[in-house]
Amino acid sequence: MRLLSDGRTLNKRRLISTGLGVLAVAFLATLPFYYDVDRGQFGIFFFNVFVYTIMAQGWNLLGGYTGQISLGQNAFFGVGAYTMALLWYNDVTKTGYYFDPVLMVLAGVAPAILAVLVGIPLLSRLRGDYFSFGTLGMGAIVTVLFINGGKYTGGAEGRMLVPKMPEGVVFNLRTHYWVSLLVAVLATLVVYFMTTSRVGLALKAIREDEVSAASHGVNVLKYKVIAFAVGAFMAGVAGSIFGYYLLQVTPSNVLTQNWLFYPIMMVVLGGTGTIIGPWLGAFLIYLISWYGGSYFAGWDPVITGIVLILVMLFLPGGLAGLVGKVPGLARIGRGSA
Amino acid sequence: MANLLLEVKELGVAYGDVRALWDVSLEVEEGSIVALVGTNGAGKTTLLKTISGLLRSVHGQVLFEGEDLANLDTKHRVDKGIVMVPEGRRLFQGLTVLENLRLGAYLPKARAGYDDSLERVFSLFPLLKERKNGKAGLLSGGEQQMLAIGRAVMARPRLVMIDEASLGLSPILTRTIFGLIVELNTQGTTVLLVEQNIHMALKVCHRAYVMKTGHIMLSGTGEELLANDDVRKAYIGARGSRLL
Amino acid sequence: MSVFTQVVINGILLGSMYGIAAIGLSLIFGTMRIIFIAQGTMIVFFAYLVYWSFVKAGIDPYLSLFTVVPFAFAVGLGMFYLIFRRAAALEDRNVSLLLAVGVMYLVQNLILKVWSATPRGLDLSYSDAMIVVGGLRVSWLRLALVGLAVASAVVVYLFLKRTRVGTAVRAASEDMEAVKIQGINAVWVCAVSFAIGIGLAGVAGVGMATVYNFDYQYGFTFAIKALVALALGGIGNVYGALAGGILLGIIENLAAYYVGQAWVEVASYGVFMLVLIFLPQGLFGRGGLVKKV
Repeated sequence: MRLLSDGRTLNKRRLISTGLGVLAVAFLATLPFYYDVDRGQFGIFFFNVFVYTIMAQGWNLLGGYTGQISLGQNAFFGVGAYTMALLWYNDVTKTGYYFDPVLMVLAGVAPAILAVLVGIPLLSRLRGDYFSFGTLGMGAIVTVLFINGGKYTGGAEGRMLVPKMPEGVVFNLRTHYWVSLLVAVLATLVVYFMTTSRVGLALKAIREDEVSAASHGVNVLKYKVIAFAVGAFMAGVAGSIFGYYLLQVTPSNVLTQNWLFYPIMMVVLGGTGTIIGPWLGAFLIYLISWYGGSYFAGWDPVITGIVLILVMLFLPGGLAGLVGKVPGLARIGRGSA
Repeated sequence: MANLLLEVKELGVAYGDVRALWDVSLEVEEGSIVALVGTNGAGKTTLLKTISGLLRSVHGQVLFEGEDLANLDTKHRVDKGIVMVPEGRRLFQGLTVLENLRLGAYLPKARAGYDDSLERVFSLFPLLKERKNGKAGLLSGGEQQMLAIGRAVMARPRLVMIDEASLGLSPILTRTIFGLIVELNTQGTTVLLVEQNIHMALKVCHRAYVMKTGHIMLSGTGEELLANDDVRKAYIGARGSRLL
Repeated sequence: MSVFTQVVINGILLGSMYGIAAIGLSLIFGTMRIIFIAQGTMIVFFAYLVYWSFVKAGIDPYLSLFTVVPFAFAVGLGMFYLIFRRAAALEDRNVSLLLAVGVMYLVQNLILKVWSATPRGLDLSYSDAMIVVGGLRVSWLRLALVGLAVASAVVVYLFLKRTRVGTAVRAASEDMEAVKIQGINAVWVCAVSFAIGIGLAGVAGVGMATVYNFDYQYGFTFAIKALVALALGGIGNVYGALAGGILLGIIENLAAYYVGQAWVEVASYGVFMLVLIFLPQGLFGRGGLVKKV
């Protein structure tokens, strides 16, 4: 059952924003045709932005819409990347594809399972911020386990996947660009349809007032776990895509803090609890780090950090909040248990 | 004509989009006991919280000694002498009786008169003196209420607002507490009493207001309202026994 | 048996630093109801400052206590008023958490920019001085660290019990609104708690500089350790937080010795998850992490 959020008056706006969205996606999709993605920096730039967008949408579902802050997305990203890598490396599915969709889905399922296993005990007993620390601990444990995984995970050097490339397939940035864009759009659609359905209503109710939601019959635990698992799934798929790009999956490139911090900062900047927020945030923050390297020589993370704090203090709705009314940060979990 | 210590004029208060108080007006004469009665959810606690400065009004005024309290925060209002004894007492359970009292006298003016206030509290509530080093959480219900009122007295108040003093207390204890409240008033402190125990409240007060769903419905002296048919039927019951 | 004792003793020494961090966390939590996740990073930041003043000006770390700690306190006040004040007033926990995450990210990268990624450590003339008692060898510096931890705990305890502001802090950690009702300035109470918490990070920073090697990312790891210590010890009890830290230190050291260095992390994070799931109120705490619905 789909619900329109704000009634009839919003229809025109929605039409416009949907139209703009479709145009933007079309533009991005056709970009490789009139700009040499393979050799230019554009390809890498947008590829990363799209991967981060997927991560950000996943985080946003749990954080922006449900009000639970996960600090362990990097673990899901890494698990996804490793799942894909290990399955490919050990030739488990024997399909011999490059970008194998089955592997990608499995790469999403594995962290989702982890999310359910960890999420149920954490979410059922702990208050919001303790859940967050639990995810932090989970991330730390996962990282350590993968580093010490010895022969299973390849330890600190991870797994080299280049030898596994199917014959005749050449590494082409275009493919990565399109796959990541496609998955980013899919992720966005998933979040959109989830949040405009009954599930979304439950999630938002939990965000606003957990106790009240529970007393209205919402199974708070179930919905939190669902959001957590879906977010983990997205992170895992993003991880697999990135793994296909790096062709070497190591703890220091798929389990790093970047994958923890950046998606959060991107959503906050773009606007929590919105569909477009992750896109805007991913684009801008990656832009800062992209050019920051050359112009500000190492200061760019500091600048990003300062910008973030300023946004949280003065612009709680993020960039999306500039344009319209956005639930934003100010409404996340205020005063709830 | 006695001084009007507190005047509330057409006060409107809302929680977000939900209105809690509608054009509430009342007056408290200096040296009197004023009772505010009504059922649960009538808005009595909301009114006290607004007078205390914990809530902001959407329109209307609260005047203390003729001065508009509009931009004053709780700290300044306490400094002026408006002190609340909150519903449920809200004592600091892990702290001792003495520490609770000391926190009541936190502000500079109250601190200056600390010894004096302490003596006053101990003479009003001798039980507290005996238990002064015990943890507040270990006191009985009646003792806790005494401590809550004592804590407010430590602030050297002009006006004490007591929210549901009888909550959870036996009839005997309630009578004791109310007796002490009257004693406090005799010593010169003005009291605004919020009560669900309408019978007791109307007996001890000089003036009373009846609230219902955010409105003031009736006002009058204690005797007038006790004799009022509507009040009797709605709140006190046909035979004068407490229904609520 | 004496090897075991030695391992335990070393664990106590190690854990005392976690304890100092945990006391700070406990204070900040008491009033603001947030776990200041950037505590570890702040400790590392102050450790770098201690390192700097030693390397550039030859100031002995223990002397730096007198400069770094007041500075840390001031930084804490500044941080509170600039960043956390409104979120604390609104009791918006998620925003406070995210702000703390932002601070952690910011400070971490600031350290990286200013001091580069090279791990630092201090080699003092007395770094290796040992005290040998009946077969047990204990380094003076680590012993001094325990002294620091105990002294911090005592100072904080006295502050909470004997001062007016401290009593208000204790009251606030029970019931913030009731504190406001007494006319007490709740913002100031939160600010003082926060500042002391950061001040304690300064103390821990001195300790860290004298004994450990640290780099810009260590704060992240350390924050989790401090959190485990707090979870173990339980919230609301100064000495409990210290005990939690020491207990964690012992567990880590035992794991390091009997299982292997690599599994130390797993041990501490594992303990963390277990405590969160099975013993959320901690060993000594009142209230703790239990969900209040």
